Amino acid sequence: MEQAPLDPERQLQPAPLEPLGSPDAGLGAAVGKEAEGAGEESSGVDTMTHNNFWLKKIEISVSEAEKRTGRNAMNMQETYTAYLIETRSVEHTDGQSVLTDSLWRRYSEFELLRSYLLVYYPHIVVPPLPEKWAEFVWHKLSADNMDPDFVERRRIGLENFLLRIASHPILCRDKIFYLFLTQEGNWKETVNETGFQLKADSRLKALNATFRVKNPDKRFTDLKHYSDELQSVISHLLRVRARVADRLYGVYKVHGNYGRVFSEWSAIEKEMGDGLQSAGHHMDVYASSIDDILEDEEHYADQLKEYLFYAEALRAVCRKHELMQYDLEMAAQDLASKKQQCEELVTGTVRTFSLKGMTTKLFGQETPEQREARIKVLEEQINEGEQQLKSKNLEGREFVKNAWADIERFKEQKNRDLKEALISYAVMQISMCKKGIQVWTNAKECFSKM
Amino acid sequence: LPGSPPDALPSTGPHSLRDMPHPLAGSSSEEAVGGDSTPSPDLLMARSFGDKDLILPNGGTPAGTSSPASSSSLLNRLQLDDDIDGETRDLFVIVDDPKKHVCTMETYITYRITTKSTRVEFDLPEYSVRRRYQDFDWLRSKLEESQPTHLIPPLPEKFVVKGVVDRFSEEFVETRRKALDKFLKRITDHPVLSFNEHFNIFLTAKDLNAYKKQGIALLTRMGESVKHVTGGYKLRTRPLEFAAIGDYLDTFALKLGTIDRIAQRIIKEEIEYLVELREYGPVYSTWSALEGELAEPLEGVSACIGNCSTALEELTDDMTEDFLPVLREYILYSDSMKSVLKKRDQVQAEYEAKLEAVALRKEDRPKVPADVEKCQDRMECFNADLKADMERWQNNKRQDFRQLLMGMADKNIQYYEKCLMAWESIIPLLQEKQEAK
Repeated sequence: MEQAPLDPERQLQPAPLEPLGSPDAGLGAAVGKEAEGAGEESSGVDTMTHNNFWLKKIEISVSEAEKRTGRNAMNMQETYTAYLIETRSVEHTDGQSVLTDSLWRRYSEFELLRSYLLVYYPHIVVPPLPEKWAEFVWHKLSADNMDPDFVERRRIGLENFLLRIASHPILCRDKIFYLFLTQEGNWKETVNETGFQLKADSRLKALNATFRVKNPDKRFTDLKHYSDELQSVISHLLRVRARVADRLYGVYKVHGNYGRVFSEWSAIEKEMGDGLQSAGHHMDVYASSIDDILEDEEHYADQLKEYLFYAEALRAVCRKHELMQYDLEMAAQDLASKKQQCEELVTGTVRTFSLKGMTTKLFGQETPEQREARIKVLEEQINEGEQQLKSKNLEGREFVKNAWADIERFKEQKNRDLKEALISYAVMQISMCKKGIQVWTNAKECFSKM
Repeated sequence: LPGSPPDALPSTGPHSLRDMPHPLAGSSSEEAVGGDSTPSPDLLMARSFGDKDLILPNGGTPAGTSSPASSSSLLNRLQLDDDIDGETRDLFVIVDDPKKHVCTMETYITYRITTKSTRVEFDLPEYSVRRRYQDFDWLRSKLEESQPTHLIPPLPEKFVVKGVVDRFSEEFVETRRKALDKFLKRITDHPVLSFNEHFNIFLTAKDLNAYKKQGIALLTRMGESVKHVTGGYKLRTRPLEFAAIGDYLDTFALKLGTIDRIAQRIIKEEIEYLVELREYGPVYSTWSALEGELAEPLEGVSACIGNCSTALEELTDDMTEDFLPVLREYILYSDSMKSVLKKRDQVQAEYEAKLEAVALRKEDRPKVPADVEKCQDRMECFNADLKADMERWQNNKRQDFRQLLMGMADKNIQYYEKCLMAWESIIPLLQEKQEAK
């Protein structure tokens, strides 16, 4: 739960550059089902447990999903899915991995982990969770949370989430994260004991700050706009892509009808019969090929979705800055007004309206002792205020520095990941085209034999 | 119309010297023409015909034409193989160069028909005339009338089915031109139909309308004969082979109808897919504007999708223009063929009825009356002609569909190849490392 001292080197160095062992061995070996996500850093990480500064290479995988029934907080029976998280440590000498921890968690626990991280690491762009409910579905995809395909994609997303944290130079050292991977029972209680919910900024406060802040760092303002636009454009993209997938599905499936009618037609033909029949078979192949193609494309959509949700994480950091800045501005304002009040009292001039001034007028002057007392209080408050302002200033600058460092790290990651995603999308398209050429070439050959 | 001298008719096409009436000649142009035929003066192209079945308006039959077996079917069968071998071809027809004509009363399109032939029936080696759709329509009815025992190729639909299509659009005109060209080529390839008088006039006459107005019924002997067959008789049993043809055509038309519907549905889905693609591509562009390092890759993807969209549009256009019309033509073809089958049934029915009537009269006459003989003759000719035409039709159909379906496969292959090229070309762009950033 402590904020580990920030190591500038660690911040800029993503996990794969670890000298110990090869990251690919980590990614390939124990990460059972596709641990892709946005195809970025490996699962091999450097982790420092709370008390253990011994560098250990670990691998994390969410290897299974299981339907469970239990009783919820209101003692009602509910069905949910639990995910198996396995952690392995890799001996860097021989690359063999040993299972060190294995426990089951459900989605809500992941959410709890993330909420905690958001509170304690407001300067970090915290990796997002995969979507809670299926969105951007096209007709063939199920919007049902219990649907096996959805569960499978979510499993991959959750694994990706953990890998992202594990490969983050700062987040990976968090004790609660460590416990999430290792302590099955009581973990929820442990998190709640940190009291993070109380430390969370209220949304209302944040909204207020956003509107009223006068001098936010321009970079954060720009970043805020960027993340808004990113969110909007990726949403649009995902919506249209879902429609495109729908239509493409239709095109392929209708071709399947050729299979049947060619078969029927071939029955009345003599020489043409064989050619037609075999061509019909290829049309069936064509029609059924779309299922795999679109399933692959869903991975691409998931990669985009991750960054759609990342935009929200970016916004969160900007909001925090606005809040801190607003706080600072308010404190400065408050201090300035107190100083002015003090000055007025000392010099005896009343320049500004004050309640004291009014009451004085109404009820008569105060005694010099009363005035002295008041000045003293004010001077104390001013002192305190100046201290506070100083530390807030410092805090604010630290925040800006650290946040911006993480944002730079994030930008690099984003560019890498999205480029990879686009490449893999192009590769998918190429594969689809090649399959199409193959099928139609086969069909053409059958037609030529008619 | 006897007595009207040829030179009173407007000049409708290049005439050979032989056709020009001798200044001192009488109303008949017979002397100007060589040969032993007795052509009517009404014929613009007075000559003898290879087809000895020709009937002349003056009622007489030319000498030496009373062969019972249909010589046309004989010719038909002999020339079956010749059509595939282009070397023996002596008649070439092309339809091209559509032009729009705007007149006070109407606007219409004409097509240029170019004919090249070494056949004796053509005075000149080459002709070039202009015809409009209604001329083709006229030709077809004349062919049906004069050659009822043969299968006449179909014309593209007269009226535009989906009212929204512009009948003067380039695509529509081109589709129609191709269909009309196919129509004439099918006739050209037919050993009997290609010698038809009306066809000849269609290809060569300068002023077809004048000819049309004359209302000449150049019926063949068969045409004339079949024309008078009454439909009142009921057929006992259809011979197996014709029953089989009937069944075949029924199923064939049904399957084609299904294929037409599927093809239309595919095009519809493809167009809807295209609509979405056209929205999809530009979103990458919008995104690109927000980014720095990713700007080029995103823009590249946007352009790529744009290229795929264009390729898809070309595919749907091709399928609409080249694939669907041919399917429809074959459906129309099989419809008209079924009518011919029906007519054949009627001819047979009449014969059988008359035969039966004679048998019932219980006369000892061994000789079958002339009119029954005529019926039998008619039926046998019809059967022979139809059989030969069906065989030829089956062959052509096989080639046509092979070509059509291979064409469809080809178009799809080309579409995927275009897309493949687009995506392959951006891989290097996506992989490019941005050094100086």
